Amino acid sequence: MKPILTIKNLSVLLQDKLILQDVELSLAEGDILGLVGPSGCGKTTLLNTIAGFVEQSRGEICIDDIHIGAGSHVPPERRQVGVIFQDYALFPHKTVGQNIAFGIQKLKKSEQDYRVAELLKLLALTELSERFPHQLSGGQQQRVAIARALAVRPKLLLLDEPFSNIDARLRDELMIELRSLLKSFNMSAIFVTHNKDEVFTFADKIALLHQGSIIQTGAPKAVFEQPASWQVADFLQIGSWLKVKSVGNSLFTALGEVNCEQLTDTPDSSIELLIKPKYLKLIEAEANCIVKHITFTEQGYHYILASLDKHCALSFERLSFYSEQLLAVGEKVAIHIIAHQYQIFVRE
Amino acid sequence: MTLTPKRPIWALSSWLFALALMAPVAVMIWSASSANHDTFLHLWQTVLPDYIINTLLLGGYVVLLVICFGVISAALVTRTNVYGRKMLRWLLLLPLAMPAYVIAYIYTDLFDYAGPVQRFLRDIFAWQSPQDYWFFDIRSLFGAALMIALVLFPYVYMLVRTAFECQDPQMIRAARSLGLNARQTFFKVSLPLARPAIAISASLVLMETLADFATVQYFAVNTLTTAIYDTWLEYGELSTANAIASVLLIFVLIVLVSEQRARAKQSHQVNSRQHIEHVYTLTGIEQIAASAFCWGLVVFGFLLPCGILLDMAWRYFDVEQFNTLLSSGLNSLEVSFYVASIASVLALLFVLFRRLSQVKLSALPLKISGLGYAIPGTVLAMAMLATFGPLDHVINDLAVQFGFNAPGLVLSGSAFAIVFALVTRFSAIANGTIASGVEQIPQSLDYAPASLGVGLWQTIRQVHIPLLKSSFVVAWLLVFVEAMKELPAVLVLRPFNFDTLSTHIYQMISDERLEQGAIGAILIVAFGLIPIVILNKKEKNH
Amino acid sequence: MFKKTLINSALAICAILPTFLAQAGEEVNVYSYRQANLVKPLFDVFTDQTGVKVNVVFAKKGMAERLAREGIHSPADVLLTTDISRLIELKDKGLVQRVDSSTIEQAVPAHLQAEDDTWFALTTRVRNIYSSKRLGDIDISYEDLADKKWQGRICTRSGKHPYTVALVASMIAHHGETKTLEWLKGVKANLARKPQGNDRGQVQAIHQNLCDLSLGNSYYFGNMLTNKDQKEWADAVNINFPNQGDRGAHINVSGVALAKHAPNKANAIKLMEFLVSEQAQQMYAETNMEYPVREGVKVSDLVASWGKFKADSLPLTEVAKNRKAAIKLLDQAKFDL
Repeated sequence: MKPILTIKNLSVLLQDKLILQDVELSLAEGDILGLVGPSGCGKTTLLNTIAGFVEQSRGEICIDDIHIGAGSHVPPERRQVGVIFQDYALFPHKTVGQNIAFGIQKLKKSEQDYRVAELLKLLALTELSERFPHQLSGGQQQRVAIARALAVRPKLLLLDEPFSNIDARLRDELMIELRSLLKSFNMSAIFVTHNKDEVFTFADKIALLHQGSIIQTGAPKAVFEQPASWQVADFLQIGSWLKVKSVGNSLFTALGEVNCEQLTDTPDSSIELLIKPKYLKLIEAEANCIVKHITFTEQGYHYILASLDKHCALSFERLSFYSEQLLAVGEKVAIHIIAHQYQIFVRE
Repeated sequence: MTLTPKRPIWALSSWLFALALMAPVAVMIWSASSANHDTFLHLWQTVLPDYIINTLLLGGYVVLLVICFGVISAALVTRTNVYGRKMLRWLLLLPLAMPAYVIAYIYTDLFDYAGPVQRFLRDIFAWQSPQDYWFFDIRSLFGAALMIALVLFPYVYMLVRTAFECQDPQMIRAARSLGLNARQTFFKVSLPLARPAIAISASLVLMETLADFATVQYFAVNTLTTAIYDTWLEYGELSTANAIASVLLIFVLIVLVSEQRARAKQSHQVNSRQHIEHVYTLTGIEQIAASAFCWGLVVFGFLLPCGILLDMAWRYFDVEQFNTLLSSGLNSLEVSFYVASIASVLALLFVLFRRLSQVKLSALPLKISGLGYAIPGTVLAMAMLATFGPLDHVINDLAVQFGFNAPGLVLSGSAFAIVFALVTRFSAIANGTIASGVEQIPQSLDYAPASLGVGLWQTIRQVHIPLLKSSFVVAWLLVFVEAMKELPAVLVLRPFNFDTLSTHIYQMISDERLEQGAIGAILIVAFGLIPIVILNKKEKNH
Repeated sequence: MFKKTLINSALAICAILPTFLAQAGEEVNVYSYRQANLVKPLFDVFTDQTGVKVNVVFAKKGMAERLAREGIHSPADVLLTTDISRLIELKDKGLVQRVDSSTIEQAVPAHLQAEDDTWFALTTRVRNIYSSKRLGDIDISYEDLADKKWQGRICTRSGKHPYTVALVASMIAHHGETKTLEWLKGVKANLARKPQGNDRGQVQAIHQNLCDLSLGNSYYFGNMLTNKDQKEWADAVNINFPNQGDRGAHINVSGVALAKHAPNKANAIKLMEFLVSEQAQQMYAETNMEYPVREGVKVSDLVASWGKFKADSLPLTEVAKNRKAAIKLLDQAKFDL
C-alpha cells in the first residue's frame, strides 16, 4: 500500500526550544495511527506541524503528492488535512448545517447540499442541522466537527485528543462507531491521546513519542508484546518493574531467582525486569509479599503488592497482580514468577 | 503557531497606521528637546512642584474614591440583597454618561457659598458669614477629585462587578465548607481575586483624570495639564510646554504599564457562566446604610444633575438657541461618527494582526496605538498643529508646483485635525473592547478554517468579523460617546464657524451660564446613555 | 534647484492666494479672543450693510500660536483681542500687517493705536476695585490691596487671566519687580479664597458676604445691573476707580489687527473701519458698557453715572512689555495656588 503520509528527519524549533527532533513516521492509506506519549512530549506540536500551523525547521513531510520541506512551507489550507480540534472549534455563529458546509463553499449549491445531507445522515445529525453548536451535547458537537472535516474530503484526518471530553461510559461505544465510520471512508487518520486503552481500541498502528522523538511504532499488539524500551513499557503500563541483581546467567529479584539469557554490560542498578501480571502466581510457601491495596475488577481482584523486606536493595513497592482469590489488605502472601521469555530493560 | 508567515501588506498597514497615530506625539517629544531651560528652571523653582503634587494628589484622591465607590457598590450589588438590587445593577452605570465638567458646574452652583444649599443652611441657623460655620469647599482639589470620581467610578464598578459575577461559585462554596462565613469569604477569596479588575479599572480612571482639563480649570486647581496650557499660551513657549507634557506622559506610561501587568494577571481569572446568587443577607441598619450608599451614588452621579439640567433646559429654553444647538449637534454627530468608525476599524486591524500574525512584535501596533488615550486633549491638539501645519505647507507648495490652486490648510485647518486627534485619543477604547472580544474566540477557531481549505481573508470575513460584531458595535458606541464629550482638543482645533456640543457647553460654562447650554448637555448625556443601555441589553441576552 | 522652485512656488502662492480667495466669495474671517456672543451683533450689522459674510472662530487661548503655524496659508483676516498684551504679542511675532486707512487712523486717538499702524484699540476698560456697600464710600488704590487691614477680605479671579496679568505688568512698570512681588504676596495673603471664577463671580461673592473687595473690569458692572439674575449682586457693591489721588486707574483695551497673510484684505479693512465707525462704537458703548475710543461717541448713561475718572497715562506698550515678567512674578508668589 502506498503511504499517505511520510515524515522524514523532522525537527521543530519553537521559541528556540527543540520540540521535535528527527521524527520519522509513515502512514499507509486507510490506516489509523494512535500517537501517544506523556504530556509535553510534543504530540500536539507534531499534529500542528502536519496540519501546517507550525513550520518545521528541518526535515520533510509528504502528504500524498504534496511535498513540504523546511524552506517550502505549504499553508494549511492547501494541505488537504482535516483537523478535529480538542474543543471541536465549531463556529458558534453558524448552524450545524452551515458549519458542515463551511469548507465546501466553493462547490455548487446543489453539490454542497448533497454532501451536507449525506454527512448529516451518516452521523445521525439530520434532526440537528438547524441548531447552533451551544445547543448540542459534547458528543453531538464532536460528530459535527467530524462531519465538517469530512465534508472537504481530506486526505488525512488529524484528531487532537478526540475522546477526552466524552463521558467514560460512552467513550468505547463512540470509538467503535467512529472507527467504523473512518474505515468506511477509507480515511487515513492520526489521533493524539495519552490513554493507551484508546489506542488499543481505535488504532491500527501506534507511535510512541518521547521527548520529541518517536521511540517505537508498530501494530498495538506487537508493541505491547515487544516494547522497544523501558519508556515504552512504562508508559503503556505493560507490567510492573522489579529491581534485579545479576550473578552469571541468573537474575536475583525480591521474588526469587530467574534465568535469563539476554544480559547486558550495564550495571545492575539501572536494569529492571518487566513482569506482566499474567506471569505471577500465588503459591504455598514462605510469604515474600504483603497486600497493600485491592481493586475489584471484572477480571477478578487486582492487587498491589509490596515486598515484605523493606530494606533490601531489591525491595519493591508496587507489583500488579490479578487473582480470583480474595485476600485481605495486610495479608502476607507468597508470589512466584512463572518462567517465561523474560524481558529486561535499561532504565534511563 | 503561525497562520500567516508572510503578509507584508497587513503588517505594513498595521505598523503604518499605528505609527501615524503616534507621530504627533513623537513630534511633541522631539520639540520638547529644544525646551527653554530658563523657563523650565523658573517653573521648576516656583510652581511646577506644586503642580506635580496637585496632579499626584488629584490622581490619588480620585483613585481612592473610585475604588471606594466602585468596589463597595459592586460588592453590595452582587453579594447582598441591597434594596433595589436589580435596578441598581445598571443604574450604577449611568454616571458614565455625564461629563465631569458639567457635573462640576452643577454642583458648584448647588454647594457653593452662594448656592441654595448653603443659603438654606444659613437661613435655618441664622449664620451671617462664612466665618460662622464650616462647609465643605467644593471648589478645591478634593472637590474636583470628588466630581471626577462621581462620574468615573462606574468604570471600576463595571469591571469589578463582572469579576465578582464571574468568579467560580465552587470556589466560594469551597471557602464556606472550609469554615469561613460569608463575610470572611468575601474578604479572603472574592476580593483578592478581583484585584486585577480593580487595578485595571483604577488605572483607566487615573488616565482619564490626568487628561482632564475642564474640571480642574473650572475649579481653579492647577495641575500639570493646566501648567502645559499656561506655559504654552502665557509664556508662549511651545517646546517648554511640550517638555512638561512629556513629564505628564511619563506618569501616564507608569500607569499604563501597571495596567498591562494587571491585565496579564487577569488572564488567570476563570470566567464562570454560573452566577452566584446573593450570599449575604443584610440586616436592618446594614440594609439602610448599604441602600443609602448605592442609591446615593446613583442620585448624585446621575439623577440629581440630570434633573437640574432638565429643569434648566425647561426654564431657559428659547427658539434662538435651537439653531446653534442644531448646527453644533450635527457637527458633534458628524465628528463622532467619523472618529468612532475609524477608531473601530483600525482597532479591528490591530487586534487581528496581533492575533493572527506571527511576525515578530505583532502586538506592538495595538499597544502603541493605545498610548494616545493617555495624552491630554490639549497636548494632542498642540501636537496636531505642530505636525499638520508644516505638512499643509508642503501640500500647498506641491499643489501650486503642479499647477493647481493652493488648497489651503486642508489638514490642520479642517475637521480632519479634530478627527485625527480624537482617533488618537480614543483608539485605546476601541482596541481594548475589540481585543477582549477576540479573546472570547477560542484559538482553535483561527485554525479550523485553514484545516477546511479556507484561506485567511475568508476566515476573517466569515469567522472573526461576524464573531466580533457585537464587540465592534460596543467599541464604536463607546468611542462615539467619548468623542462627543471630548473638549480641549476640539476647542483648539476647530475651524471657522464650527462648534460642537461640548465646545458650545464649555463656552456657556466659562461664561457661567450653563442654563443656556443645558439642552446641549442633555443631548450629550442622552447619547452617552445609548451604549450603556445596549451593553446592558446584550448582557441580559447572554 | 528644488529649494529654489519651492521658494518660487511659495512666492507664487503669496501673490495668488489672496486674490484667489477674495474672488471666491465676499467674506471675511475673524479670529476672536472675544466671546462670540459679544461681537456677533456688530458683525450682523456689518453684514447687513455690506453684504460681506463674517466667519468667526472664537478661542480664548492659542490664537497667536495657531496663526503662526498656519503661516501664509492662514485664512484669518481680522484679529480681535481683549487685551493689549495680545495685540503686542501678535505684532511682535510678525503675525500682523500695517493697515493703511486714514479712516481708522483718524477715528482712534494716537495713544490707543500702534505707531506703525499694526494695531488699533476699539474700546477701553478700567480695572476697577469693587467694594461692598457695607464699607460706604472709600478711596482706594491698587497698592492698598496689599494692606493688612484687608486680610481675608479680597476676592479675585485667576492671576493668570490677561486682565490681572496686565494690571501686574503696570505695577511692574511703576514700581519695579521687587516691590511688585512684595505687593503680590501681600494681596495673596489678603485673599478670602483661592483665585477662581470670573469677574462677576467676585461681585457675587461680595454680595454673599464672602469678601469686601474685588477686582473687576468696568463693563461687568453695567452688564450685571441690566441682568435680572445678577442685578442683586451688583446692587451690593460700589464701583471704585483706584489711584485717583495719584497716577490714575489702570486701563486696558480691546483691539483689532489685520492678519499678515489676510486673504480678504479689502473686506478686512472694511470691517475694521466699520468697528471704529460711530455706529459700531455706539453699540460697544450701549450694549457692552465699554468706553468707546472714538471721540464724540458718548458712553452709555449708566456708565456715565459712575462719573469721570483719571486714567493711568502709562503707555500701553509698557504694559505689554512687562507681561512676561508679570507672569513670572505671579508664579513666584504662587498667586493661584
